[in-house]
Amino acid sequence: MKTKRIACIAMAGLMAASLAGCGSGDDKADATTKAATEAATEAAGSDSADDTTADAEGIKSYADIQLGTDFTDLSAEIKFYNNRTDMDSDDYGGKNWKQYLEDFNKEYPNIKVDVITDTNYADDALTHLQSGNYETVMCIPAVDMADLSTYFMSFGDYDTMSSLVNYSNRWLYQGQVYGVPLAATTQGIVYNKKVFADAGVTDVPKTPEEFIAALKAIKDKNPDCIPLYTNYAAGWTMGAWDDYISITATGDATYKNQKLAHTKDPFKNYGDDTHAYAVYKILYDAVSQGLTEDDYSTTDWESCKGMINNGEIGCMVLGSWAYPQMEAGGPNADDIGYIPFPISVNGKQYASSGADYCYGINVNASDDEKQAALVFVKWMTEKSGYAYNEDSLAIVPGSESKISFDGVDFVADEAALEGEEDYLNQLNSESELNVSNGGNDKIQAIIEHAANGDMSFDDIMAEWNQKWSDAQESLGIEVTEK
Amino acid sequence: MANKKQSGFGKWASSRKGQQVIICAAFAIIPLLLLLVFTYIPFGEMVKFSFYKMKYTTPVEKREFVGLANYIDVFTRKDCFGALKLSLYYIVGALVQLVLALFLATLLSFRVKGGNLFKGFIFFPYLISGIAVGFIFKFFFTRGFVFDSILQLCGFSLDNLPYWLKDQSVNNWTLVSTSVWRYLGQMMVLFIGAIMSVDAELYEAAELDGANKFQQFRYIILPSIKTIVTLNVILAITGSLSAFEQPFVITTGANGTGTYFIIMNKIAHTSQKVGLASAMAVVLLLIILICAALQKLFFEYIFKDSSSDDESYKAKKLRKKQERDTKKYMKQMAVSAKGGK
Repeated sequence: MKTKRIACIAMAGLMAASLAGCGSGDDKADATTKAATEAATEAAGSDSADDTTADAEGIKSYADIQLGTDFTDLSAEIKFYNNRTDMDSDDYGGKNWKQYLEDFNKEYPNIKVDVITDTNYADDALTHLQSGNYETVMCIPAVDMADLSTYFMSFGDYDTMSSLVNYSNRWLYQGQVYGVPLAATTQGIVYNKKVFADAGVTDVPKTPEEFIAALKAIKDKNPDCIPLYTNYAAGWTMGAWDDYISITATGDATYKNQKLAHTKDPFKNYGDDTHAYAVYKILYDAVSQGLTEDDYSTTDWESCKGMINNGEIGCMVLGSWAYPQMEAGGPNADDIGYIPFPISVNGKQYASSGADYCYGINVNASDDEKQAALVFVKWMTEKSGYAYNEDSLAIVPGSESKISFDGVDFVADEAALEGEEDYLNQLNSESELNVSNGGNDKIQAIIEHAANGDMSFDDIMAEWNQKWSDAQESLGIEVTEK
Repeated sequence: MANKKQSGFGKWASSRKGQQVIICAAFAIIPLLLLLVFTYIPFGEMVKFSFYKMKYTTPVEKREFVGLANYIDVFTRKDCFGALKLSLYYIVGALVQLVLALFLATLLSFRVKGGNLFKGFIFFPYLISGIAVGFIFKFFFTRGFVFDSILQLCGFSLDNLPYWLKDQSVNNWTLVSTSVWRYLGQMMVLFIGAIMSVDAELYEAAELDGANKFQQFRYIILPSIKTIVTLNVILAITGSLSAFEQPFVITTGANGTGTYFIIMNKIAHTSQKVGLASAMAVVLLLIILICAALQKLFFEYIFKDSSSDDESYKAKKLRKKQERDTKKYMKQMAVSAKGGK
């Protein structure tokens, strides 16, 4: 009898607890509709300082802040959450977080910035957002564009921000810019100049055939050297191949965010060594012809840096952020170089460039914290020299950068059309292909099939095409491109 | 009325029995509360998620209710349920682990020279963090590294040795062996503890009656430790069905080693199909419950002779039948007596 009574009370308690969940849901609905209507009125166009931020008056927007003169006596404490754990240590080869903050506090002594870093940043950042209790400034993780205004404050409208910051369209939604890039990278191939020169490869390979021929030459010259190191075991190094299928493989800045979602069978053979088919075929051919490492299942990311520096590896397909790391991996920094990806569209090579992680400011922070955060972000972008030190492409238009390719333009992806911002995310999730979204296992499957010879490349691409088409159908996305 | 009730409760509360109940409840309420908050409520939320189509960051009002569609997906997709086949490897490994642990425990429970040293060595792997173990074995199985070098010293040539982690016909066994290496010690220590509780006089009596060591094991030790054996088998099978750590750290679940948990993790965190992943978790729970129930029945059958100390199973069955027959007879007599009146 007593147990029955206790069980009843416990049941009632459980049900009451689940009701609590419903209540907060309504509040969130109000908050998002409120932010949406405010964003809509701002986008409708007005240039008074108030309307460029989604919040109350009194906050000077990014564009209006004068560094060095404004807010030098502002006192606030903000937190900055990011993934650069290597910059937390005193052994870091370049300028680390402590040194940047010392410089920042010379101009703004009363703004205290607490830098928190995390190696598992991509997943943990999403957890922080979901908890509702997240840092003042953080690197925007993989959220849906439509949810941006729920979590982050707008820096201003696109017309204002694009003149101050390159790649500001990375987190652009309904005309408002929510993210300012920390760094921008380009996609190419990091290689050992000495290994290539010794094998007789003098010109930069411009087509897949030239590239495979170069790898073969390296293997013939030196059987112990690994021409292309895939870094299969690390996982994320495989998903990196997805970044080459848009601008680099098509020369079209609108491909990734506007055309890909509407394309029929994007992984088919276009017949001219371009598009996604050509990119992945390079990997398949390299593995099936024995031009990669012997045992792909036990590759090691950390030791590959030393190996490429010593000439034991010919090249690796990684973004430009890898260039300084490979230089620092051993004594032969001058042997490391960076070349564009070997695909030519109508005879010309293109290098896709895009923002890395972007600063996002917590929309729920207090006004003082938001102001301090804006000052910090502007200072880091314009005065700290962070982008130059980290071998990034130029963030502030016209500033210097250490990376340059001959005769190859750096092109950034155009933003998605209004109302279509989440198509790529949704297709990725529905098809589980996760293009440029951590889809490591599909690329790992290419290597497995190439090594075992149990599935031809065309069959693999056909399978992906099928998944993509099914996802387009179930999400109701129009198929307009060929 | 109210007064009477209150004084009744107060009286009960100050009585010995009442005090006992109140103290028990007071002590139990904190762990129960923690259990509720950290286990049952999140579990309830997860079951709720399994009926929706949603991502982690989808605000509550945008989540789409899809009913049983996720569950149907779990059973029809070839990668979700297919991953359970890999659990069979781990179950075989777990059984090998059980037999080895029982054997070593029986050996080491009695006076053996350097027994404590052996126990220490075998138990040590369990104390190392799973991630560290994963990293160790990643390098252990790399071509031409530790394992290959040892085998070459034994006389194998490098060309005859398979690629331990690349070759899809052996890589699952490789991972199972790392799991056995890690958990063997823990199982063995549990068995040693249980075997030590067996009354030593029974061994003497059995020896006098002429039993050899194996017969002693089968008829004295095994029945006495049956609860521990049952527990370890349940833990081992549950662990095999939800194998995650070793494949995740060593091969990230690629190359044909993706167990159920790893597929679930990929679906939840990379593809962000939280509803489908929650459905997979609930299905796994149901499978484990079914397995646990089956195991209980199995062990009850195996150990049916040892559920009582004085009578064998057959005698018990006979006695129960006789009791039932007498009851039936008494009832009939009562009815006919009543009817007769």
